[in-house]
Amino acid sequence: MGDRWIWWRLAWRNLCRNRRRTLITASALAFGYLASVTMIGLWGGMMTEMIETGTNLVSGQLQLHDPDYYPERSMYTTLGGRDGIDVDELLALVRDTPGIVAASPRVYGGGLISSGSETVAGMLVGVDPVHEVEVTRLLRTPVEGRAPRAGEREILIGRDMANVLDVGLGAEVVLVAPASDGSLGNDLYRVSGIFATGVAGLDGSFGILPIRSLQELMALPENRIHEVAAAVEDPWAAPALGDSLAMALAARGLDYSVLPRPWTVFRAELAEYASLAGAVNGIVVGIIFVMAVFGVANTMLLGTFERRREFAVVRALGTGPGSVALTVVYEGFILGIMALAAGALISVPVLYWLHNYPPDLSNMFGDFTMAGSVVRPVLRAEYSVDGPLISAVALLITSILSALYPAYRAVKVLPADALADI
Amino acid sequence: MDISLGDRTIRCLTISLVFLGCFLSPLPTHAQDPREIIDRVDRIMRGESSIARFTMDIRTENWDRSLTLRAWSLGTEHALIRIETPRKEAGTATLRAGQEVWNYLPRVDRTIKVPSSMMMGSWMGSHFTNDDLVKESRLVDDYEIEIAFEGERDGVEVWEFLLVPLPEAPVVWGKIRYEVRKADFMPIWARYYDESDEIMRTMTFSEFRLMGSRLVPTVMTMEPADKPGETTVVRYHELDFDVDLDEDYFSLRNLRRQR
Amino acid sequence: MRRTLTLLRLAARGVLREARRSLLTAAAMALGLALLMFTRSLADGGHEDWINAGVRMGAGHVLFQAPGYRESRSLDDRLSGIQARAAIAALDALEGPLAPMATTIRLSTNGLASSASSALPVVIHGVNPETEASFSHAAERITEGRYLEQDDRLAAYVGQGVAERLGLSLGSRFVLTAQSTDGEIQGQLARVVGVFRTGLPEVDEGVVHIPIATARSWLGAADGATTVGAILPTSGVVPEVVRAVRSDVEGEDIRVLGWREAYPQLDAALRIDDYGDYVFLGILFAIVALAVLNTVLMAVLHRKREFGVLQALGLTPAETGLLVFTEGLMLTALAGVVGMIAGAALTWGFFRDGLDFSALMSEEMTFGGIVIDPVIVPKFRMVQVLQSFFSIAVVGITASIYPAYYATKIDVGEALKFE
Repeated sequence: MGDRWIWWRLAWRNLCRNRRRTLITASALAFGYLASVTMIGLWGGMMTEMIETGTNLVSGQLQLHDPDYYPERSMYTTLGGRDGIDVDELLALVRDTPGIVAASPRVYGGGLISSGSETVAGMLVGVDPVHEVEVTRLLRTPVEGRAPRAGEREILIGRDMANVLDVGLGAEVVLVAPASDGSLGNDLYRVSGIFATGVAGLDGSFGILPIRSLQELMALPENRIHEVAAAVEDPWAAPALGDSLAMALAARGLDYSVLPRPWTVFRAELAEYASLAGAVNGIVVGIIFVMAVFGVANTMLLGTFERRREFAVVRALGTGPGSVALTVVYEGFILGIMALAAGALISVPVLYWLHNYPPDLSNMFGDFTMAGSVVRPVLRAEYSVDGPLISAVALLITSILSALYPAYRAVKVLPADALADI
Repeated sequence: MDISLGDRTIRCLTISLVFLGCFLSPLPTHAQDPREIIDRVDRIMRGESSIARFTMDIRTENWDRSLTLRAWSLGTEHALIRIETPRKEAGTATLRAGQEVWNYLPRVDRTIKVPSSMMMGSWMGSHFTNDDLVKESRLVDDYEIEIAFEGERDGVEVWEFLLVPLPEAPVVWGKIRYEVRKADFMPIWARYYDESDEIMRTMTFSEFRLMGSRLVPTVMTMEPADKPGETTVVRYHELDFDVDLDEDYFSLRNLRRQR
Repeated sequence: MRRTLTLLRLAARGVLREARRSLLTAAAMALGLALLMFTRSLADGGHEDWINAGVRMGAGHVLFQAPGYRESRSLDDRLSGIQARAAIAALDALEGPLAPMATTIRLSTNGLASSASSALPVVIHGVNPETEASFSHAAERITEGRYLEQDDRLAAYVGQGVAERLGLSLGSRFVLTAQSTDGEIQGQLARVVGVFRTGLPEVDEGVVHIPIATARSWLGAADGATTVGAILPTSGVVPEVVRAVRSDVEGEDIRVLGWREAYPQLDAALRIDDYGDYVFLGILFAIVALAVLNTVLMAVLHRKREFGVLQALGLTPAETGLLVFTEGLMLTALAGVVGMIAGAALTWGFFRDGLDFSALMSEEMTFGGIVIDPVIVPKFRMVQVLQSFFSIAVVGITASIYPAYYATKIDVGEALKFE
């Protein structure tokens, strides 16, 4: 027979004939697909959440420095070196880059914070209060008081530091820091707010103040900053963004160079954990579909057994064993396509729901604090292209694989015996 | 105070005080035993009081600075140093009383206590440290002293002393070498080495003059070996010994005084 | 009674007759169970590893300190010699599964390490060289030289970052400076006998070990200690141990902490990981349940005729349902046994050497403040095995319910018709 679609049609007809069985099997596969896609989405969501939480406290997801800044972090190694840079220009360039959500300048200085007879050695960070909140959240939620205001001599300190200094809101502290001209910068500040992140290094040693104020304290002109910190839309895009940004800046003919540092460099452990999780994903998908194989194979075997007379007749009429086997395999394939369609259809609203209205499991698990923030166990899914793609491929492979043994069994049917067995 | 600690560690002041003290009384010419010389100097320094006015010129990779300072000291436990110029820093002062160190900042009119962990930080950006003010002179306690060379160099009769730390002495140097003029016991230079004999820093003494009726080196220059071009030069303009000072003088109240 | 027996025989025969189908169904469940057991034991092993690593970076699963020490970190808040001895006695009194595997006694302080070229703030731990060698993580991460030994006096064991920043190599001298118990700043000579690298910058650049005897004489602390700690065989016994030692040192004004309290970051990290595991497990269950449901349901559909005949012969619909349900139970039991064996084999296979994840992780992964070993040894716990078994049993049983219900609905007349 010349009609090569005949086997497909036969396969389809078979499936239609046993509607209930087909439906059940297809739905099992479809559910496998759904589970796989959801699982990948949820893991993705967890990882993103973790990365965001870990980086949006103080560091941001991408940082720009002068190439010589790390590891010594000398106060003299400002962007552009001694001559400084056009800070506004750089910030504008960074903010205009697609994928970067916000950027903010920083100045760092080691110094002393003193009140009465207590003195604490700490890291002073000068920030732009207006733009900093777009990049990190340390300023957004002080436990007491508020973030310092630009133009004021105010400082935000950690709770541990406040305890050691025995100061509260509104208290006066002396800030002392070596200045860039060799003298000892010193001035009086008011504690405008107190933060408590739970991270010992921060709560005990960090003081946040307006950038211009710190620059004045350290005798640095306005155009000398140490860092630009940026928040990005997709954390995984941070390294690529950093590189393209550096190139774009170089192409612009700026007379200074910039070294980008994405969070994958300064919080490498988060990246590691995430890639480990990614590997686990692969295992999960594997497991899901191995289980599916059993279900589908079983069903198809039943079908094959039932239809042995049909196969016998067909064989008696001259059909080769290969074609018979092919029909069975085609059945599996069509089953897979149906399941895929159904699964894809269902998974869209499910993912949408999990992405936009994720269920909050705080009641079951409680909240936990990690890296200075409360992590709420929320089942949030990330959209991805990989997830559905991998799952779809796995689904089709599964359905075909499951059909192989039944196809083999179908071929082994001896026409005469089958026909005799009425 | 340089919070990036310790690059400029040197017990410059202590050493200089040691050598300044050499001239409190004429030494008998037969006192050739090095330990005796140093020890005697050490002992003489105990209980010694002095008032000085000096300039400090600091040159570093990033800036140059020039300060004039006034210093009061009593033994090795009490010292008060105040900046006179430049004007914007005038009145900034450091007080060491016992184990505590305080800084007064005239600009904000506040006094802060310097934590002990800050001791190795550089003082006023110089190549001196807070620790130099705190640490007692313990050359004799910490080092074995011998004469490594005795003879003529550049037309001058000198001793070169070799100081090697005693087995358990808590000092970082592998050894120290001093060259001292025989005739008047004036120090010429001091070199500090680490244990692999690499020179870490050099102090040079020059311009010997009579001050407070004693012959002293009025200029001391410190050069770190790992930062070529950087120096701190101390130049004495006034120096008086055996002045009438007692412990009460070294008080927080005096720290805040402008004169 | 007879009917029940008959039912059982019918069920058994039903299972056996369709051996291939039964096997497939059971296989699905067994696989699920085996995987469940394996991944859970791996996760438990992984977590136990983390805890182990974490407590060895710190001062053990259970810590004894003076009441204000944790907040002040000051030498003033230290245990006296008597208190330290009481703590050690309490640890020695623990027996069997509670007995510590290693103990530590430390006098720690913040100070400065200075060399001829530079100075660096460090944390100085005065330790007992013998016990510390088997306790501390840093002690086994030697990159040069050796760990401290019993007769050492001036020896120091420093992190690689410390050595680099201060320009030190083996045998180099340096000076430790800190405030002693009487408020004086004291210097102590030390010589490097060993260098270590943990991979954690804050440890490698900030920690120095010296013999506790030296620390005591340097800081004027007589025979006191700032922390006494112990590593226990597993983290599971910690609450019991804490209870036991707390009552032992009652009245001595000693604060006893368990590891969760002592290392909150680690605790948080583990809980987050747990949470991820639960999500995974939830989905695994759903998959297994569905595979089983599918298979069993198919089997019922296929045997409509058979059930029709049985009912015609007198089996009630309810009994038909029961029959199917019983078959399901048998399959579950079979699967359970096979699965447990398979799971145990899988776990045991990796038990000794662990599963090496290093292909997936780089050299030094850190998480929650500790360095993670890429080789994870699964941890076998009876409780967890039983839990897994019962979970799968529940799954199997639940999956049999609908088919059983379906079986009760079979119409005899329809079923007996020719297909």
